[in-house]
Amino acid sequence: MRATRRSLLKGLARAGFGAAGVLALPAALRPLPLQAAPLEKVKELGVLRVGLYTDNRPWSWDDGGKPAGIDADLARALASQLGVRADIALFLADDDIAGDLRNVVWRGGLLGFQPCDVMLHVPFDKILIKEEDNVAFLAPYHRETFGAACSADGGNCEAHPASFKGHPVAVETASIPDLYMLGQAGGSMTRDLIHVPTGYEAVAALTDGRADFTVATTAQIEAVVADHPDSGIKVRKSALPLMMSPGWDIGIAVKDNARTLGFALEEAIGAMIADGRMKALFAHHGVQWHPALAAQPST
Amino acid sequence: MKRRFSTIIGSMALASAALSAPVVAADGPSGADIANDAQTPGDVLSYGMGPWQQRFSSLDKLNTTNVTKLVPVFAASLGGEKQRGQESQPLVYDGMIYVTGSYSRLFAFDARTGEKKWEYNARLPDAIMPCCDVVNRGAAIHGNKVIFATLDAHLVALDRHTGKVIWNKKTGDYQAGYSATAAPLIVGNKVIVGNSGGEFGIVGEVQARDVETGELIWSRPTVEGNMGTLNGKDNGISGKTNATWTGDLYKTGGGATWLGGTYDPGTNMVYFGTGNPGPWNSHLRPGDNLYTASTLGIDADTGVIKWHYQTTPHDGWDFDGVNEFVPFDASINGKPMKLGAKADRNGYFYVLDRTNGKLVSANKFVMQTTWANGINLKTGRPNYVDDNRPGAPGTADKGKVVFASPSFLGGKNWMPMAYSQDTGLFYVPSNDWGMDIWNEPIAYKKGAAFLGAGFTIKPIAEDHIGALRAMDPKTGKIVWEYKNKAPLWGGVLTTHGNLVFTGTPEGFLKAFDAKSGQELWKFQTGSGVVGSPITWEQDGEQYVAVMSGWGGAVPLWGGEVAKTFKEISQGGMLWVFKLPKQ
Repeated sequence: MRATRRSLLKGLARAGFGAAGVLALPAALRPLPLQAAPLEKVKELGVLRVGLYTDNRPWSWDDGGKPAGIDADLARALASQLGVRADIALFLADDDIAGDLRNVVWRGGLLGFQPCDVMLHVPFDKILIKEEDNVAFLAPYHRETFGAACSADGGNCEAHPASFKGHPVAVETASIPDLYMLGQAGGSMTRDLIHVPTGYEAVAALTDGRADFTVATTAQIEAVVADHPDSGIKVRKSALPLMMSPGWDIGIAVKDNARTLGFALEEAIGAMIADGRMKALFAHHGVQWHPALAAQPST
Repeated sequence: MKRRFSTIIGSMALASAALSAPVVAADGPSGADIANDAQTPGDVLSYGMGPWQQRFSSLDKLNTTNVTKLVPVFAASLGGEKQRGQESQPLVYDGMIYVTGSYSRLFAFDARTGEKKWEYNARLPDAIMPCCDVVNRGAAIHGNKVIFATLDAHLVALDRHTGKVIWNKKTGDYQAGYSATAAPLIVGNKVIVGNSGGEFGIVGEVQARDVETGELIWSRPTVEGNMGTLNGKDNGISGKTNATWTGDLYKTGGGATWLGGTYDPGTNMVYFGTGNPGPWNSHLRPGDNLYTASTLGIDADTGVIKWHYQTTPHDGWDFDGVNEFVPFDASINGKPMKLGAKADRNGYFYVLDRTNGKLVSANKFVMQTTWANGINLKTGRPNYVDDNRPGAPGTADKGKVVFASPSFLGGKNWMPMAYSQDTGLFYVPSNDWGMDIWNEPIAYKKGAAFLGAGFTIKPIAEDHIGALRAMDPKTGKIVWEYKNKAPLWGGVLTTHGNLVFTGTPEGFLKAFDAKSGQELWKFQTGSGVVGSPITWEQDGEQYVAVMSGWGGAVPLWGGEVAKTFKEISQGGMLWVFKLPKQ
């Protein structure tokens, strides 16, 4: 029998929720009432409530009152596959993922923010899965990585990041790119850094002369390039030396007792990946889709 | 009209009869009345019971000989489903008790019967995700208005008779992470407030507004390099740009003034403490990071910083410096001095010259401070223990685990201390706890990999976390202490009756002998007490009031500490006490 890394990881994720007594049984063997409830409820109400970060371009953001972005489009596609309408709730990020899962997935906000049926763009990570026993992590659908880019006249984008000393470098405040650049050239680039609230804005600073170099996520870089086709931004091709993050998978999260819904969404995501719709959805935003590491076949 | 007229007559009659007569005027208390609050024990017109916020009452009808007989007069529920932490201090004026509740609510109760007169519920956007519970710490009163701050960073003035909105001003953008929970400070015809939101890359600020209209008069950022304003015009930057910050980090430097301030009419300065710098990890922001984790003396008329004293330069432990700076007068080495005291999150009790911010003394008020071996009196700086600074993030593994004490919740958190003019002692609600802290290489924020810190808070003593300590500001010695199993999280009151009151998470309001620390009385309120008690005189009798309702930041952190409060239920109740009629 040929096992995939994906099924192994999923098994691990579900086994982590042993307290609820649910094993990773094939769908047909799961007890019916448990399987039916959350999914049936969504179908009955005709609405899938999806929680997305409110300020996370190109994934999700508020575009004049309308949720926009890759995850917003994915939310709509998933809802339509279930035959329901998507109700996208944009929420403000908490200090870390644990706060977001509490506010958005399993408890709700203290001031009336209703929990969502599902949250997208949730890191799919073994340790996180073990720590968070109120939610089920499913369907890793993309792999994120950090990359770099230069402005049109920003010089050699393949050079060592430390060679940009003395040039304006834009980074998201208190992010890994921030720390990475602070550590360059023996910590002497602190004066060169321009701190902005998001990675997208850091890349956008290359388009208007504010910055010559930036480190951001690959998706943020590709989206800005697509949004400013004439800006001449150069995307770095070589890896960033000693970058502390090798990348991470993102997937979805549902409440621990709503995994029937989660499985249905996982199936829908699997179908979108299989027939190329996922790739096209990403491409629509100028971003190249990369299969999650946890979802790639092992050899 | 008729009712108000008779009130005036009544108050005039009382005024001639007793010194403690409340200030009652048809148009409500003036700035001068509020500045004089500590001298009029017939009312409570301000947070802290006077501009110095000593929380000292000159009343002594209730005292060490009779406090055992203290009984409830009434209790009033804040009702509804909205419970959680009740950190408020009530105000008393003109036969009414005004008290704020969790979820940005303000209530008016009849001070004699407990009957609710009105209730105001701020309409809060459901998208707010408050970092540290949904508390509010109290209101201000001025003229016909009661004024309080809301979680969505608004300042709201209500008609004190009806609860109807007179003005409502946005003081910050909640979507950018700003919030507000502190009681406003009245100085003359100005209402002065700080801001909250320390964890989100904001910049701390103090704002003075016209109490009649809510319009901004001056603003003063607490991080150097940022511009202040006066009457709509630039009024100079705070400090000197890039003197203690590198690059542009000062633009998101933190330093929130989330606990509000005190006022000294003598120097005409307001004193505001400032929060920790951002980002959280100190290795990302070389330098002292002024004026974070500091106390600022600010000119009340112009918003200009007159002096600063930084308690934790280049903070790396989340040692917010927001704690209240309480002015007091005392003789040091035979010399009468204008002083102020602050029990800091970092575990040290500082006495400063309040005219110039010069350090007079600094002494530990907690069991342990692993991060520093004392404070250098010459330089005013801590003697850091470098090995005990949390490490630089960025390494691939978990890295060194550092034990730090106090924990990031502090030797003393928000809960205000009291100063007795009789005993000359400060009564400091403190906590003995530490934390393990390490780099978290696998953390996530907003869907992206992020370098965080992991931490576990834990007790450091077998028998207690909380400790109410009587501290002699002249010697730095702890005269007595009362130990409490759960962390203390409520304010303190002291009186001329030689009494000290404070609440416990276990649900008790307790009274102690101010000189000896002996526990004399306690009453179970039904939920944890994390509010600040008050006392006043009414109809010739002395009353005590406190809010009950467990919550605040403590329940957010689990581990060993959580065992001390896991059986405590939420609540939302105003309790009022007095001695039985003879």
